[in-house]
Amino acid sequence: MTSIPQNQPPAVGAGGQAERTRLAERAEGIRRALVERPRFSLRLQMYLGFLAAFILSAGVAVALVYNFHDMENKIRFLEIVNDYVMEVEQARRFEKNFLLYGSNLSDALDSVFQAEQILTRNAGELAAVMGPGWSQVMLPKLRGYQALLERLGRLQGAAGAQGGPARQDLQARVRKEGQEMVSAALALLSKEKASLSTTTRRSRQILIYSLALLLVVLVLNAYLLGIRMLGSINRFGEYANRIAAGDYTPITPSRRYRDEFTDLALAINAMIQELENREAVLIQSHKMRAVGTLTSGVAHELNNPLNNITLTAHVLQEDYAGLSDAERQEMIADVVQEAGRAKKIISNLLDFARETGSQLEPLDLPHLLQETIDLAANQIKLLGIKIQLQSSDNLPRVHGDSQQLRQVFLNLILNAIDASAKGGKIQVIVVPADEPNYVAVKVIDFGSGIPAHILPSLFDPFFTTKGRGKGTGLGLSVSQGIVAKHGGRIMVSSQAGQGATFTVVLPVTTIPAELGEGRHPEPANRAKA
Amino acid sequence: MSTPLRVMLIDDEPIVGKRLGPVLEKMGCQTETFVEPAVALNRLAEQEFDVVVTDIRMEEVDGIGVLERVKALSPRTKVIMITGYATLEVAHEALAKGAFDFIAKPFEPRDMRQAVAKAAEALGLQMPEAAALMVEEILLTEESGLPE
Ligand SMILES: Nc1ncnc2c1ncn2[C@@H]1O[C@H](COP(=O)(O)OP(=O)(O)OP(=O)(O)O)[C@@H](O)[C@H]1O
Ligand SMILES: [Mg+2]
Repeated sequence: MTSIPQNQPPAVGAGGQAERTRLAERAEGIRRALVERPRFSLRLQMYLGFLAAFILSAGVAVALVYNFHDMENKIRFLEIVNDYVMEVEQARRFEKNFLLYGSNLSDALDSVFQAEQILTRNAGELAAVMGPGWSQVMLPKLRGYQALLERLGRLQGAAGAQGGPARQDLQARVRKEGQEMVSAALALLSKEKASLSTTTRRSRQILIYSLALLLVVLVLNAYLLGIRMLGSINRFGEYANRIAAGDYTPITPSRRYRDEFTDLALAINAMIQELENREAVLIQSHKMRAVGTLTSGVAHELNNPLNNITLTAHVLQEDYAGLSDAERQEMIADVVQEAGRAKKIISNLLDFARETGSQLEPLDLPHLLQETIDLAANQIKLLGIKIQLQSSDNLPRVHGDSQQLRQVFLNLILNAIDASAKGGKIQVIVVPADEPNYVAVKVIDFGSGIPAHILPSLFDPFFTTKGRGKGTGLGLSVSQGIVAKHGGRIMVSSQAGQGATFTVVLPVTTIPAELGEGRHPEPANRAKA
Repeated sequence: MSTPLRVMLIDDEPIVGKRLGPVLEKMGCQTETFVEPAVALNRLAEQEFDVVVTDIRMEEVDGIGVLERVKALSPRTKVIMITGYATLEVAHEALAKGAFDFIAKPFEPRDMRQAVAKAAEALGLQMPEAAALMVEEILLTEESGLPE
């Protein structure tokens, strides 16, 4: 016999080996399914969300910087044009003086020169706003005006006095050109002012719209993150409830990608496996305790065949010579028969004590209950208690682990025995449950009953009212775990002094095909935790 | 020759009566064996016994019930209880209620002979056959010299 490795639960024997391998393979399969998905972590989603918001903000900033630059250019242009207009208007005032009084021509020319200076000095800025063709628009007019003024001056110098049709004509042209020049400059000015206000408005709009867009992006980001996180958190909340209710099926992938919650799922699956191992150890050790309880009955019962064998063997030895052949034969037959009886008394218990792998199979509940009662029969007989099994005909089919369910019913029967007075009565009844698709097994005793104030803690681990060394308080807790794994429930109703009724409801099998794969039966309406 | 010792043997295991009946007869007792305590109690009402040997744990009426009944009917009758494992508490109860002796299962015919002889002695009755048998038995065990 090979020794059991240290790190394995000691109560687990060779019987569950194949079962364990199969479970380990399944766990590995689920782990791989969880891990082998493309990774899309929450962190990445957060980064992407913030990146999108950042890109948007950066775009807005660039647009605004560009717009401000544009505005600056326009303002600068307006200043230039303004200066220019002022110089030109100044020139025209001097021109008027000259025409009226013949003075100030040099001042007028000076102003024109100044105006020209302004244009040439700021050629770059003007080109920036009006394009490279700007000089074709403004300079020729200015130069034309200048040329006219100069001609007028020369004419003045030559004629000395006013009048003369040529001069009249020239004056009219000077006035007209001057006016056109000013109005063109003013038109340019007002056009650029309008354009500046458009640019300002655009800045404002960029700000408002981008703020709104940023809000949308941020809200969308928060919404998507929220959906994802809350969804996962809710899912894990459900898992926790499910596990608390004793359902140890591992978490399987529920999305197409993996993330931080996948790590959590992996950790929870590891925890589930550990819990399951521990529960198996707990179930097995409590079973051994029940076996211990039963041994007093077995030992007592074993005394009877042993006594019969002892007596018969001694009589045979003492009187051998004086006995007829027939008498000897009879005595030997008695010995053989009693030895067989002894074997049967212990083999029942040993069968039950032996660990077998968890196995789901169709169950014959009345038969299973009879076996359980037989197991406790010696105990029951020893205490002089009567036990009665009743079952209704054509019960629907139930699948389950017969070994574990036998343990559940044994725990209930042993509790009922403990509660019953000497010579008391216990009833075990199998009927279809009140709710559809369930079968109910009731263990009824007429013993001490359960006071209302301890009813809520009855199924808690280690809750016991029995003295030290008499009860561990694990019987009902272990039983509840087993029944929950079968998709069922244990309920209790009792009144102090009136006895107690424990009801185990088990789901009727509806999809037998699923059972081969080691899954627990999925009843039509599974009990919610 | 004195009147034989009247012994009643009650055990719901039929083999006990089947084997011990002849053993007690050989001792010179007048023995009646019963499997059902209720039947035995009926018989007790008709007939007084010197010694009643009863199993403690039985269905219907248990050994204590038999003891009480016997003591009520005939206080001088010696009652020997056959006890098993895990009935020690009951044994104490029986002692308090006037049981004469105990024999623990599993036992040998010799244990039964000794207990009955002791009861006979307590009743002041002689049992020549019993004494002879016991001497013979002692010799027998010494001869065979089987080490324990
Ligand atoms: N049929 C019943 N009648 C009265 N009380 C009961 C009955 N069944 C259970 N109880 C109460 O519930 C408590 C818990 O039962 P449980 O089977 O979990 O533990 P236990 O019987 O005390 O210990 P163990 O099962 O390890 O021997 C018992 O101590 C008892 O007080
Ligand atoms: Mg219990």
